[in-house]
Amino acid sequence: MLRRRPKLWKIVRLALLATVLAVAGFTLYLDFRVRSEFEGRRFALPARIYARPLELHAGLRIAQADVEDELRSLGYREAPPEGEAGWFSKKDDSLEIALRPFVFWDGKQPAKRVTVVFDQNRIAALRDTGGAELALARLEPLAIGGIYPAGNEDRVLVRVGDVPKHFVQALIAVEDRSYFSHAGFDLRGLARAARSVFSDKVQGGSTITQQLVKNFFLTPERTLQRKFTELLMAVLLEIHYDKNEILETYLNEIYFGQDRDRAIHGVGLAAQFYFGKEVQYLTAAESALLVGMVRGPAIYDPYRHPQRALERRNLVLRETRDQKGITPDEYAEARGSPLNVSKKTGTGTTPYPAFLQLVHRQLRRDYDEADLRSEGLRIFTTLDPRVQDAAETALAKRLAQYDKDKRFGQQAGLEGAVVVTDPQSGEVQALVGGRDPRYRGYNRALDAARPVGSLLKPAIYLTALSEPARYTLLTPIDDGPFVWKSRGAPDWQPANYDKKFHGIVPLRTALAQSYNAAAARLGTDLGIERVLDNVRRLGVDRPLRPFASTLLGAVELSPFEVAQMYQTIASGGFRSPLRAIRDVTTQEGRPLSRYPLAVEQVFAPEPIYLLAAAMQDVVREGTAQGLNRFLPPEIAAAGKTGTTDEQRDAWFAGFTGDRLGIVWLGYDDNRAARLSGAAAALPIWGDMMSALAPEPLALAKPERIELVSIDPQTGLRGGASCPGATEVPFVQGSAPSERAPCSGAMDAAVEVVGKSVERAKSWLDRLFGR
Amino acid sequence: MRLVVLLTVLLAGCATPPGPAPEGEPKPEAPPPVAAPTPKENIAIAGLKDSARTEAAAGNLAGAAASLERALRIEPRNPRLWHELARVRLKQGQYAQAESVAARSNSWVGEDKALRAENWRLISESRNARGDQEGAKAALEAASRVAP
Repeated sequence: MLRRRPKLWKIVRLALLATVLAVAGFTLYLDFRVRSEFEGRRFALPARIYARPLELHAGLRIAQADVEDELRSLGYREAPPEGEAGWFSKKDDSLEIALRPFVFWDGKQPAKRVTVVFDQNRIAALRDTGGAELALARLEPLAIGGIYPAGNEDRVLVRVGDVPKHFVQALIAVEDRSYFSHAGFDLRGLARAARSVFSDKVQGGSTITQQLVKNFFLTPERTLQRKFTELLMAVLLEIHYDKNEILETYLNEIYFGQDRDRAIHGVGLAAQFYFGKEVQYLTAAESALLVGMVRGPAIYDPYRHPQRALERRNLVLRETRDQKGITPDEYAEARGSPLNVSKKTGTGTTPYPAFLQLVHRQLRRDYDEADLRSEGLRIFTTLDPRVQDAAETALAKRLAQYDKDKRFGQQAGLEGAVVVTDPQSGEVQALVGGRDPRYRGYNRALDAARPVGSLLKPAIYLTALSEPARYTLLTPIDDGPFVWKSRGAPDWQPANYDKKFHGIVPLRTALAQSYNAAAARLGTDLGIERVLDNVRRLGVDRPLRPFASTLLGAVELSPFEVAQMYQTIASGGFRSPLRAIRDVTTQEGRPLSRYPLAVEQVFAPEPIYLLAAAMQDVVREGTAQGLNRFLPPEIAAAGKTGTTDEQRDAWFAGFTGDRLGIVWLGYDDNRAARLSGAAAALPIWGDMMSALAPEPLALAKPERIELVSIDPQTGLRGGASCPGATEVPFVQGSAPSERAPCSGAMDAAVEVVGKSVERAKSWLDRLFGR
Repeated sequence: MRLVVLLTVLLAGCATPPGPAPEGEPKPEAPPPVAAPTPKENIAIAGLKDSARTEAAAGNLAGAAASLERALRIEPRNPRLWHELARVRLKQGQYAQAESVAARSNSWVGEDKALRAENWRLISESRNARGDQEGAKAALEAASRVAP
């Protein structure tokens, strides 16, 4: 026994040494981790995505109520004209707005006050506070979502200096009173924590440093060993970094609850989310509410548990006063104020998931996914929330009604998609991917490739009208029975929608009434490849099968692809790639990339003009006549209906002076239904456009187009004495030369005089160089 | 016949001073003191055109294009704006864009023959820069047909 004692001592000594070495090694390892991770640690910031900014200027067509709505959705308060920026105030038919500062892609716009005077849905004047006329005022754009890092963590970084004193004081008073003096841990707190490990009570007493370490480096389990590690790391953190650095990181890290699938982190975003303001403007009461939430954002959620949140806030205020963080007067005032949280918008990561998907896809061509999820890029898009809302509402309302009436199929589940663009620039203003616009999944606007039916016909007529010597809007086209024979394929015999054939009809009537036999005969006469080549030139990239049936729309395209195709028609033969993004900047506002307006002339202006005029006939007197219930005739919209085999799909594609819209309806399983473009899709288009007060479609008349009076009976030149004579556009020299019998000598004389006046005018023009 | 046409074009080219047409746009290289906008012109458009000119003069062509695009969102059918955008694209060396945008201007130009001719001259310049001599010549002919 005695002999063993030295040996035991030796073992103890060795063990002790090993422990010390192990602890030292562990400490060194932790030190390495703390330094490397904290040093290199940059918060992953989501790319922030903005809608288009609303530009106010004299002459803009917009209702006062729409401007007010836009301001409200930006979090502006309707308030008496005073105080920090972010309010508006109504007076008769004018609005005074205190614009917040905002960093745009082209520079910083300071806070400023503007007065907007309305005159019947139009801005009559725009002035500054001094009464001087302003050229333009740009509202800040609505934030419509982000591309988030793992866990959908969202935050807006702040500097510690921007956080109000009373916030920091409340935080210190409640979470860690000795923060500015301790070395990372607090003995009394530690004792409490030690007890709590064994007693299973709610633990308190972690210092701010420890809480940060816990969130940053460790898993949430509660063991003695983890507690020890946390303590050690907290001390190491305090050795390497000063109090302000640690506090700032903490302020940006803390979790303030969920907005559906989005996690609200940091006091900067919390201020915006709960109070709709920048952190520096938080009042003492608002700060206390947020500080109170640190302990349990779900328990003290001011929306779900307002009473509990209020009590907690007042407790925080009391503690802050007791610690001399605020004066008794400030305390009394804060305690008496209501919760004051902003109205909950509660849209999660985005209210417009379908549009965001498009933005994300377009961004991925130029940016790394990792950068999008962490660099805090600012993405300025083309979405117009007003148009988007009109599109969503129109689709939802009609689909609900169709469900009720069971008009287009017995089963529920009819789906739809809408795309709206600006025909002049190709900017996408709205995108709806299905009947539930908040659903973050299958995006029919982009991904549902469906047969387009008659929507392809304009390409046939465009091909014909490109040869003015052979085809004009009045050229007779045969809508008799038609059979297409090709080797190795069954005969193709397109029937008409009304199961009848209509004999010889003028070209524009064949399009207006969407006759299949006429289109098939014309298309095959022209040559399938030639027509398909024009489909590609219109902007369809997908491979097209060179079959005759393709001409009548046996080709599957997404609504977005159809929009690209019709864009080219609506913009006079200029193709612009559809764009969802205008600019990308860094977090600080340094421009990274612009997505400029790009146009390419792919068709001569004359045939496009004739086609668009024929598509106006589709609405005036053809298959889309129903639109006249929605829009006054002077809008003169152009459009085309589309219905597919067994009425599986309903399409309407059309444009006004300022918008192009595509509507598709169908079932996801592609089942036969009783859909038709005119009955099912057109009303949605009509509802949407009429809600947006469209501009009339005034086609740009090319130089070489002339309007000729035509007698409808004979299709020959008419005049005032021919009943029902209408002006029809022709490429110069292609109009009929023969006069209709009804047309008298008077008409001919008028025409000749008109012509010579024209000629004399151009001669004079030439003479005077003007 | 061709020779005659060519000669006419050349002579017209000599006869016409290189300066702007009577009511044409001043050359952007030397922006004159800001002219008061005509009463009909929207002051928002006038303001954006001015900033585009200032930006272009300072060599910030991307900024100038952005200002013009902003103006085009307000007045998409203003041929003058499309023309100025074409001019910026030309300076940026984006010749295909310059041509298409000038053609776009022409589609809205209506009776403004001076502007139509300017657009054709710009198209000609841009084709020349691309090395398309034939096309440049044709565009110049088109210009002199419009406003000889």
